[in-house]
Amino acid sequence: MQILKVENLYKSFAGSGEVVTDVSFEINEGEVIAVIGPSGSGKSTLLRCLTLLERINHGTIKVAGETMVETTPQGRVVYASEEQLRKIRLRLGMVFQNFNLFPHFSVMRNITEAPIYVRGLSPAEAREEAEKLLAKIGLTDKADAYPYQLSGGQSQRVAIARALAMKPDILFFDEPTSALDPELTGEVLKVIRQLAAERMTMLVVTHEMAFARDVADRVIFMDKGQVVEEGTAEQIFGGPENERTRNFLRNFNANHKLD
Amino acid sequence: MSIFQMPTNAIKLMTLLFNGVLVSLQIFFLTLLFSLPLGLLTALGRMSSHKWISYPIRLYILIMRGTPLLLQLIFFYFAPFYMLPPGFRFSLPRFTAAIIAFSLNYAAYFAEIYRGGIESIPVGQYEAAAVLGFTRTQTFFKIILPQVVKRILPPISNEVITLVKDTALVQILGISELFRVAKNESSRIFSTTPLFAAGMFYLFLNWIVTKVFEKAEKKLSYYR
Repeated sequence: MQILKVENLYKSFAGSGEVVTDVSFEINEGEVIAVIGPSGSGKSTLLRCLTLLERINHGTIKVAGETMVETTPQGRVVYASEEQLRKIRLRLGMVFQNFNLFPHFSVMRNITEAPIYVRGLSPAEAREEAEKLLAKIGLTDKADAYPYQLSGGQSQRVAIARALAMKPDILFFDEPTSALDPELTGEVLKVIRQLAAERMTMLVVTHEMAFARDVADRVIFMDKGQVVEEGTAEQIFGGPENERTRNFLRNFNANHKLD
Repeated sequence: MSIFQMPTNAIKLMTLLFNGVLVSLQIFFLTLLFSLPLGLLTALGRMSSHKWISYPIRLYILIMRGTPLLLQLIFFYFAPFYMLPPGFRFSLPRFTAAIIAFSLNYAAYFAEIYRGGIESIPVGQYEAAAVLGFTRTQTFFKIILPQVVKRILPPISNEVITLVKDTALVQILGISELFRVAKNESSRIFSTTPLFAAGMFYLFLNWIVTKVFEKAEKKLSYYR
């Protein structure tokens, strides 16, 4: 089943011009997509458009067959009704670079609050699900801790559990390890790998090339707001066809020789 | 002066001042009751993206913070009578006028404190809440406001302490609060003792206010 379909998406900001230019791609259920590319290539903005944090200037986005936004032949961008968007939003999960945990809630409440007040679970049900998720990310003993007591890696794992508690159809990751100390990235990537093994549909914006190569079914290379090349991990990392992709990967490898 | 006269006078003075304290406390609590929520509404209006909401509110805040509270007290007491055309004129009771002036004045100060607090919350908190599906109202009351309260407690305590002392200003309307009572008694018995005693009352009240805020800050120190 097709989870996400993006067609001819454009996004520009007043002042900084066009940030995403004519991007189209699809994600099917169970697929893991890695989006790679240099800083400022529009990867994060693309993700923010897909999760309704930004409004697009042109294009179509469909989530599980439902239209989130489309553009009329006259060029008018039409978003679905607020009620429809609320439903669509429930299908989308997002993990931020800076975690964005709620500092005044315990780890448990960070995970259970939305299931209780948005999905309508009873507190007991929400707690039960949260305990399973905490076991999955290996933080059962931190249920009553507050975010300030967690390391960056632990915070990001809790943020993943919080997103999973909403049972999204697709989970977006915006550079999930970029704010972490190098020695803490492993524990977060491990959780994402585990989700990939369970066939969770995911789109991961990342600078972790080794991880993208291992985990992604498909890789999208973006540069200057455009999708330059798209293919399987083997195609992109093994023999990229586009000059820009080759340059990016060559520079990247040169800079990360020691890794 | 007989040996029994001193305590009797002291008790008489204390009773007198205590009645004044009760009036001051009424003004204090009623002002907080009205100005704290009104300040929040004002802050939200001030931050509105609609200019026809935010501009009048900016003007209101400018006037309230930019003119003496003493003058505002006089205004709310006399304006309904002198500034309205004949037939529409009315007079507010002194106490009511004082509460209106104080509430509107303090709401303006509180509004700017709330605004500072609200704007200090990282945008990521709103985004995380939005992606999780919280409504705007849920986001504000569950996620944003509790964090704002923690951040604004110190500046709010400043204002509340000032309010205790500002209650003395209502004497301009002839309301017998603590300071006026003390001043009158001071003139009557030709001694500064009542004024000094009144000072001790204000100090005591603000000691309590300080303790209450310390407790509240401690209670919210379970997270950072």
